[in-house]
Amino acid sequence: MKLAVISCIHGNYEALNAVLSDIDAQKADQIYCLGDLVGYGPHPNEVVDTIRSLAIPTCQGCWDEDIVEGLNACECSYPSQIAEQRGKLAHEWTNNEIRPDVREYLATLPLSLKQDNLCFVHGSPNSQHEYLLPSMDGFAALERVLSVDADVLFCGHTHVPYVRELEDAKLSVTVKSPAQASDPQQFQASLKRLINAGSVGEPRHGRPNATYVLYDTETTQVTLREVAYDYEKTCQAILDSGLPSIFAWRLSRGMEFAERADDPSHVCER
Amino acid sequence: MKWAILSGIEGNLPAYEAVLQDIRRQAVSDLYILGDVVGLQGENEAVIQRLQSPRPGELVPQVCVGWWEEQCFSLHGVSGLQDAPELMEKYGGDGVKTLWESVSRESVRWLRSQHFGFHELDCLLIHGSTVSYADELTPDTPAIQLCDRLIRADANYLFCGRSGLTFECSVNPAELRSTVTTLDGVQEPQDHGKTPRQVIGVGSVGRIPGKSTYSLYSPENGQVSFRTVNYGKTKGFGTVKE
Repeated sequence: MKLAVISCIHGNYEALNAVLSDIDAQKADQIYCLGDLVGYGPHPNEVVDTIRSLAIPTCQGCWDEDIVEGLNACECSYPSQIAEQRGKLAHEWTNNEIRPDVREYLATLPLSLKQDNLCFVHGSPNSQHEYLLPSMDGFAALERVLSVDADVLFCGHTHVPYVRELEDAKLSVTVKSPAQASDPQQFQASLKRLINAGSVGEPRHGRPNATYVLYDTETTQVTLREVAYDYEKTCQAILDSGLPSIFAWRLSRGMEFAERADDPSHVCER
Repeated sequence: MKWAILSGIEGNLPAYEAVLQDIRRQAVSDLYILGDVVGLQGENEAVIQRLQSPRPGELVPQVCVGWWEEQCFSLHGVSGLQDAPELMEKYGGDGVKTLWESVSRESVRWLRSQHFGFHELDCLLIHGSTVSYADELTPDTPAIQLCDRLIRADANYLFCGRSGLTFECSVNPAELRSTVTTLDGVQEPQDHGKTPRQVIGVGSVGRIPGKSTYSLYSPENGQVSFRTVNYGKTKGFGTVKE
C-alpha cells in the first residue's frame, strides 16, 4: 500500500492542489494529513473544505488547536519572539476569516492517528508544539517512536522534510534502592524511523516548492517529494488579503530565519 | 559540600521536624525541597511558616513546586486547569475541601513564587520531570523513558520526588546509530552513545506517618545515600542509613 503523508498546508490552496495532483500521479492509495491546515496563508476555508471533501484522515496541528481553543499565547507556542509577533497577526486574521463549521471541524481532529505499526502526529506524541528536529538526540527521538508503540512515526511542524533511521539501540539500567539492587536490565530496539513530511504550504527547506512524503508499507521505502507550483499566486493572495507581507516574502524563498526554534524542546512551566 | 534533598512533606510538620533534626547531624551545606510541601497529612500553614522562617543557624530551604502545589494553584485559579480535576479524581470532594481550607490565599501566592526546579552543577532537581510535575519516575519506568528524561533535563543527575520512593537508577545509553536523509541526500551516520547518568528518587518526608525518607548527595564524588527517619511518640527518633 502506498501512503502519501502531507502536513502544514497553512491555508495555501494553490500548493495543496499541486500536491494532490502529484499524489494522484504517484498513484498513492491513501493520504494522511498531519495538521496545520490553517494559519499564515490566505485560503484557510478552502483548504479545510478540500481536506474534508476527500475525507483525508487528519491530526490536529498547533495552528488548528489555537483557532479552536483561542490563542493561548505562551512563549511555548512559538519558537522565537519574532515568530510570536507574526504568529499573533496571522492568528487574528485567520480567526476572523474562518467559517463556524470550519472551526467546528478543526475541533474534532484527533491528536494522533495509527495504522498498524505507523503513527501520525503533528509535532510529537507529547505535544503539537514540540519540534522533532533531525539534530535531536537519537535516544530522545527513539523514545518518541517507542512511546506510541510504533515502528514508524510520521511528524511535521518543522516544515523541513527528512527521514531518520534509528538502529542498533542498546541501553541498560541498573537499579539501587533500599528495597532492591538489580543486575543491569538490558534494552534493545530494532530499526525505528522518524519521517517528517515537510510542509505543503509554507516550506522552509530553501526552495518555494511544496514538500510531502510517500511511504510504501510493503517495501518500507520512503520518498521525499518536492512539487513546484505557482507560489507567486499565493504570495499575491497573501498581499491582497492584508496578511503581513513577510509571509509572502518567505513563501517565495522557502526559507524562514526568524522561526528557527531557540529552544525546540522548551517545556512550558505554566 | 553536601546536599540534603527532600520531597513530600505534605503538611506533616512532625515529619519535617524529625528530618531537620537528622539533617543537623549530617554536615549539610544546602537544603532542597522538591515540592509537595502541602498535602493532606496535617498542618499545611504551619509547614509553610516553618519553611518561610528557618530558625537561627538552620539552612534556608530552597523549594520548588510539586503536584500538591499545582492542585492549590488550580483550585485558586492561579494556573493550570480550573477546579483541580486531577485532585478531584484522586482524592474526591473531601480532598478538595481539605486542601482548599488548609492553604490560605497568601500561602498560595508564596508557593506560586517558588521554583519550577533547580539546575545546579550537572544536576536537575525537580518534583516530577521536565515533562510535567505529575511525571512519576520509578525503578519500573521503562529504560528508554528514564533516558529521555535525563536527556531532556540536560543533566547527569536527575533528582525527583513524585514517586515518594528512594532509588538510584544508573542509565547507560551505550549505543545507537542514527542516519538522516533530507532532500539534499544522506548525511553521515552518527553514533549517539553516552556515558551513564543517574535518576534518583529522593523519598518522601511526610507521606507515610511515622517514617520519613530523604536523600543526601555529595557533588564532589557523586555519592548518593538515602536516610530513613522514624519518628513519633512510640518510635522516638531513630535513623537508619541505607
